[in-house]
Amino acid sequence: MHAPGNHLFASKGVPWVGGSFLLLLAVVALYLFTGAAASEPARTPQPSADDISFGPADATLAVIEYSDFQCPFCAEYSSILAALRETYGDRVRFVFRFYPLANHQYATISAKAAYAASLQGKFWEMHDLLFENQKEWSESADPRPYFDSYAESLGLDLDKFHADADAQSTTDFIKRQAAEGKKGGVTHTPWFVVGDSVVLPRSLDEFDKLIREAL
Amino acid sequence: MTRPRRWVPWLLAGAAYAGFVISLYLTFVHYRGYVSPCYVVHGCEEVQTSTYSVILGVPLALLGTIFFAFMFYLGIGLLTASRVLVVRVYKVLAFAGALAIIPLFLLQAIVLKAFCTYCVATEAIMLLLWVVSFLLTAPERARATL
Repeated sequence: MHAPGNHLFASKGVPWVGGSFLLLLAVVALYLFTGAAASEPARTPQPSADDISFGPADATLAVIEYSDFQCPFCAEYSSILAALRETYGDRVRFVFRFYPLANHQYATISAKAAYAASLQGKFWEMHDLLFENQKEWSESADPRPYFDSYAESLGLDLDKFHADADAQSTTDFIKRQAAEGKKGGVTHTPWFVVGDSVVLPRSLDEFDKLIREAL
Repeated sequence: MTRPRRWVPWLLAGAAYAGFVISLYLTFVHYRGYVSPCYVVHGCEEVQTSTYSVILGVPLALLGTIFFAFMFYLGIGLLTASRVLVVRVYKVLAFAGALAIIPLFLLQAIVLKAFCTYCVATEAIMLLLWVVSFLLTAPERARATL
């Protein structure tokens, strides 16, 4: 009597070769997939006057980022974006949009701090401080003293900073941007739009190349 | 007399292949030096970037890839020649895999307080391999000599 399954294949070598082929196929496919920068048409709103941005408002190219200050991946990208703002800040409009994720405890409160700083003209400075020091405030029991210290170091009016951070209009602004992002298909942070395409470049060089091609 | 369940090796090989693909993806992500972005659903970044994702310099994802590749080939072994030794080795490894789930799951739940969807999926597959391995039956002739 044959062992169960013996009759399934004319040759015993077939499943071993077929199985090995499947494993190899997965290796090649995933190697290519994880190395390629994703790109798809953007469905998020075009830049508008009330967007927080860096660079000329009438620039022919806009780079939009939906971000969450408590997202470690966004923090990794902040230095890349800083380098790009330095290089292309005179030709490209860099737009920042809030997309606080529900699974990040301090995502919304940090977004409020950044928005409050923007009302005193220090958004990008606060943006950089929040990402550079992400670990300290995101792992604390209360991040507000950290935000206050950043605001102080930037010379902000603390009373106005607190009032703006707590204002309903601030909450509404953040919620509106997040809702528009969600409607536009944003599923993760950071979410980048270069021109009309959603992209996820893996390095400064890749990002730089995308911008050069779009200009 | 129990009839051999022919779908069992197919299920085991298929599940191991799924585990292999997920673990391989995480391995590539690890070695390419980036993490998956933070998704709206509970994020992977806390888990993938934690110090616990590497043991003695070897990423857990790579160990998972090797484990699932081995289980996949054992599954093929069960399909082609369901020998007692293959069944025994399969059951032992499936049990070892199920044991490994405990610290991995507790790390996510208690220490990291974050669940990585991909990691949970591979753990579920390991559990499935162990549970389904109970349905493996040794060939009759070989069993008779046991």
